Amino acid sequence: MAAGPEIIPYSEVRQDLWRPLSGASPRYVAMVFFLLAVSLWGLFSWGYQLHEGIGVAGIQRPVFWGFYLVDFVFWIGISHAGTLISAILRLTDAQWRKPVTRAAEAITVFALMIGGLFPVIHLGRAWIFYWLIPYPNSRLLWPNFRSPLVWDLTAISTYLMGSTVYLFLPLIPDVAQLSQHATGWRRKLYRALSLGWTGSDREWHALERAMKLMAAIILAVAVSVHTVVSWDFSMAIAPMWHSTIFGPYFVVGAIFSGIAALLVVMAIIRKTMHFERYLTPHHFNNLAKLLLLMSLLWLYFSVAENLTVWYGNEPKEMQVFGARARGHFAPYFWIMVFCNFVVPFVLLGIKRLRTIRTATIAGVTVLIGMWLERFIIVVPTLARSRLPATWGRYAPTWVEISISAATFAVMALLYLLFSKLFPIVSVWEFEPHPEEED
Amino acid sequence: MYLKGDFQEKDAAAQALRDLKAIGFSGADLDVFSDEPIEFRRGVLDRPSRMSLTVVVGAITFCLLTIGFVYYTQYDYPLVTGGMPIFSFWATGVVFYELTMLGSILTTLACFLWESGLLRRRRAPAPVVEPEVICIRVHCQADQAENVSRCLTRAGAQDVGRIGDRYE
Amino acid sequence: MGVQVNEQTKTEHRWGMAIDLDRCTGCQACVAACHAENNLPLSDPQSAAKGRAVHWIRVDRYYEGEFPNIRVKYMPVLCQQCDEAPCEPVCPVYATYKNAEGLNVQVYNRCIGTRYCGNNCPYSVRFFNWFDPNWPAPLDLQLNPDVSIRESGVMEKCTFCIQRIQRAKGEAKEENRPLTDGAIQPACVQSCPAEAMVFGDLNDLESKVSRLAESGRVTHLLEELGTKPKVFYLQKAE
Repeated sequence: MAAGPEIIPYSEVRQDLWRPLSGASPRYVAMVFFLLAVSLWGLFSWGYQLHEGIGVAGIQRPVFWGFYLVDFVFWIGISHAGTLISAILRLTDAQWRKPVTRAAEAITVFALMIGGLFPVIHLGRAWIFYWLIPYPNSRLLWPNFRSPLVWDLTAISTYLMGSTVYLFLPLIPDVAQLSQHATGWRRKLYRALSLGWTGSDREWHALERAMKLMAAIILAVAVSVHTVVSWDFSMAIAPMWHSTIFGPYFVVGAIFSGIAALLVVMAIIRKTMHFERYLTPHHFNNLAKLLLLMSLLWLYFSVAENLTVWYGNEPKEMQVFGARARGHFAPYFWIMVFCNFVVPFVLLGIKRLRTIRTATIAGVTVLIGMWLERFIIVVPTLARSRLPATWGRYAPTWVEISISAATFAVMALLYLLFSKLFPIVSVWEFEPHPEEED
Repeated sequence: MYLKGDFQEKDAAAQALRDLKAIGFSGADLDVFSDEPIEFRRGVLDRPSRMSLTVVVGAITFCLLTIGFVYYTQYDYPLVTGGMPIFSFWATGVVFYELTMLGSILTTLACFLWESGLLRRRRAPAPVVEPEVICIRVHCQADQAENVSRCLTRAGAQDVGRIGDRYE
Repeated sequence: MGVQVNEQTKTEHRWGMAIDLDRCTGCQACVAACHAENNLPLSDPQSAAKGRAVHWIRVDRYYEGEFPNIRVKYMPVLCQQCDEAPCEPVCPVYATYKNAEGLNVQVYNRCIGTRYCGNNCPYSVRFFNWFDPNWPAPLDLQLNPDVSIRESGVMEKCTFCIQRIQRAKGEAKEENRPLTDGAIQPACVQSCPAEAMVFGDLNDLESKVSRLAESGRVTHLLEELGTKPKVFYLQKAE
């Protein structure tokens, strides 16, 4: 894998990176229609739920939160893909991130948009979700800023705003270049989006300064966002939710699932757009190492949490712990451990096994494992409430499964459309990676 | 009027800029166009910026506004919840933090749009930039045109000429 | 032990309830009465199997000992109307808060159904309307006009029969007399054949409930959580 960087002439770079923007293969069109169908089915399910009542979902007392909250945390977690690549790697001046940043930031923005839908989907009276927003109204009431759910609103809005700015700013030079070569409605679109960019040094300086500031800002926001999402749970006094570790635990888990998502997306992009020269084994190697690192960090936090609960032996917490590790939820728990730790450790820890294919497999496995982790966090605690007389259980219905599946379809659809309109590898930022040891 | 010259090398362009500054032009009259950011040595063409300071000020402004807003709304219709005080700094501190960061984001965006000169109505004509070409544009009077052309050509510019009055 | 008079909210009334576990026979008359009084959605075996049964007051059974020396303790559990309720600060729209008389009120038309309060209640006394309520004939003829029907998507819980409190206060005000102790009886208290439940004003030190609060048999449910419930249980110390 340690080959020297291939110097590709600039005109070829532009040609290669712009090629996916024109034309649509039959496979692409078929995929778009399929994803549209799944998304529409999810939309129909949601409409059905709005009409019939949220009882068509599987949630019940005392498990008042189920799939929708799991999906919410999952998607907000995925959104940390962009933050890591764009912000942390930019701040540490890691050059290998350059072909990957836009793909990662696109994941962030779309994942946030999808994740931000779930607090609305899970509401009992979703049509008045806007009561969460502070505005003068005839009820003379304001939202309760003490509630972690209102914290969620501010955090996710801020992060969405920041990520959109962070995605949009470096897009401007590319879009300006595209507008010179495009025709028809595309030319108008690119012209409008480029805001009159001419490539002057003033513009470049302003852009670079803004990106440096945004990198630091978005990092601070991203850490706070997933911490705030975790505080939806840890601010409650439910057993095994009320844990101080949740903030860092969730942030680490988010970055973990974000890298996994990015690996999968990159592998797909590389294959379908024939970007073998741009998304090289070197990139996958670095991301795989990061994934391995995050897997170990995740394991560390999980062990820290579970060990303290088990050692402390507090009765209510042990009920939940027992349900997770030995009881009803044990299969999900142990599959989660296998997916999140064993598979990445073996596939990525052993150097000979670390290839693009195994990195992608590890990415998919981690995504499954992290979804299960969110499930393990949300449901067992609620199912084993403090008073044993009120214990319950949970099984999802077709409505929840449809909506959850539809969000994956929506994500893929948005991504397909985005990569058809804008170059998914940033053209102006592209430069061959320096030779590094693997 | 606006004159321009194309360069292939960064050093040649830097030399041209130094020469132009020597004959009396300041950074305000000079612009460098390229399709990727060019890093000149310090002193060649500096663009001082107050973006960082403005962003901090913007963030602090949002923070204070948020604290004021939350304080006002909590007392506007005070309701006791869970024994917490009506206005609790710690219970609502997260909201202050997030909106402070939102302030910094919006200020950064605003500063970027201002300092880059984008979105301004009447702008000087800009040359079409070819890939891997560095184009210097000089804003000069008609009587200085001769000097400027000579300066650019001496530094190694190609295609020295005048840019039209329309944005092209 | 005893129930502290809250210095912060020295208001005219502070409603509390005493439940004598040594008297409770577990007959569940209180459960039935609450259903009738408060227009509770129908809870049949199907909804119970789905975890959707709604019982604002329920009777928990605790078995102690081995056969043949089994003892059963019956414990009616209803909203404890906590002074420091964990369900209140987490509601994003102020649908639940503590009113001036110490009641943890649930405002149905404010609720948007996030169900966070239900998760945070350690006693699991909060219930959610998963669908619009439906009472098959002839049950639809016995609804109480004093109590609003909750639509789909709204949380509900025991209100200490606030409609009865309001009516009694209104009548007392009209007749220009103070409220007498025992004038207000929530449906559960009224229907208990063993007279195990006592409801009254904790701010009135002469009321029956205040005098019971001084007894040596007072316990609170999940006291260690610091919720400061205003429902206290009287049971013989073991």
